[in-house]
Amino acid sequence: MVKVYLPALGENITKATVSYWYFGDGAAVIEGNDLVEIVTDKATFNVPSPCSGVLVEIMAHEGDVCEVGDVLAVIEKEGGDDAESEEE
Amino acid sequence: MFECRLLDLGTIDYLKAFLVQKDVVAKVIAGQAPDTLITCEHPHVITLSRRSKIENLLVSQGELKKWGVGIFCANRGGDVTYHGPGQIVLYPIFDLKHDKKDLHLYLRKLEQAVIDTLRENFGLNAYRKNGLTGVWVGPYKVASIGIGVKNWVSYHGLSLNVCADKRYFSFIKSCGLDVKMASINDFFDDNVSVKTVRDLLVESMGKIFSFTSLENRVL
Repeated sequence: MVKVYLPALGENITKATVSYWYFGDGAAVIEGNDLVEIVTDKATFNVPSPCSGVLVEIMAHEGDVCEVGDVLAVIEKEGGDDAESEEE
Repeated sequence: MFECRLLDLGTIDYLKAFLVQKDVVAKVIAGQAPDTLITCEHPHVITLSRRSKIENLLVSQGELKKWGVGIFCANRGGDVTYHGPGQIVLYPIFDLKHDKKDLHLYLRKLEQAVIDTLRENFGLNAYRKNGLTGVWVGPYKVASIGIGVKNWVSYHGLSLNVCADKRYFSFIKSCGLDVKMASINDFFDDNVSVKTVRDLLVESMGKIFSFTSLENRVL
C-alpha cells in the first residue's frame, strides 16, 4: 500500500483544503496523473498519484482541511507489491 | 535569470486562451517549451472556481446572456471573477521548481509586480491587504489573482483593470468580497491604454521573477 500525503506547499503554509478528487474509491490510477486538487488562499495545487494502482481509500474528503503531511488517500500499488511503502 | 517567452494572444475567448494555457503547461512540464508569459484581453466573461458560491453571482444567467457575458468554470483558486475589454490578463506558465516551491510566495510576487507597475509608472499608492490576495488603490480593488499549479508549473494568473466597464462588475460579488472595483483610468484624466499597461506590467514581472523576455516566440 502507498500512502498519498499532503505535500509541502511553501514556507508558511501548514494547511490546505481538499477541493476535488479526480477519482473515487476503487478507481484505477496512473503514476504522475492528477489525483486530487487542493486549495490554499487563491491557489489550487494538483497532487499527482505517486504510483499506478487502485485507489483503495480516500481519507480526506472534499472540503476537509488537512495539515501538511496528513494522509489523503491510500493506493494499492499495481503489481501486487505486498511490502508496506510510503511515498510522498 | 531565466529566458521567458512572451505570448500576446490579443483579444481572445476565455476558453480558447484556457486551451492555449493547457497546451503550454503540458509542454513546459515535458521540457518541450520554455517558461511562458501569456498576455491577453477577454470578451465579457464571468469565471467561477470549484469553490465559488453561486450566491456571489448576483444576476440571472438570462440577464448575463442579454449583456453578452459568458460563464466559465475554471480550475483555479479564488471565487467568482469578471474579465472583459479594458482589462489586461496575464497567465504566467512558470516552472516554480526553478524558484522556491512556495504557492503563497508566488502569489505575493504577482501582487508585487502589479504594485510596482502602479507605483513606479502612475504614482498610485497601490497596496496589498493582509489576509487577502489582490491589489488595491485606496478603497478600490484594481487587480485580482487566482492561480493553479500542476507539477509545480503555474497557470491562470492575474487581471488588472485599465479601463474596464464598471457596470459588469455589478453582476458579481467579486472574489466573494464586499469590494468596489476600479480601473487605472478612474484615477486619471488622461486615458492609459491596455497595451501601455501590458508592456509596463511585463517589465515589472521581469524584474520580480528575474527573467529576460523573448518576445512572441512561436508555439
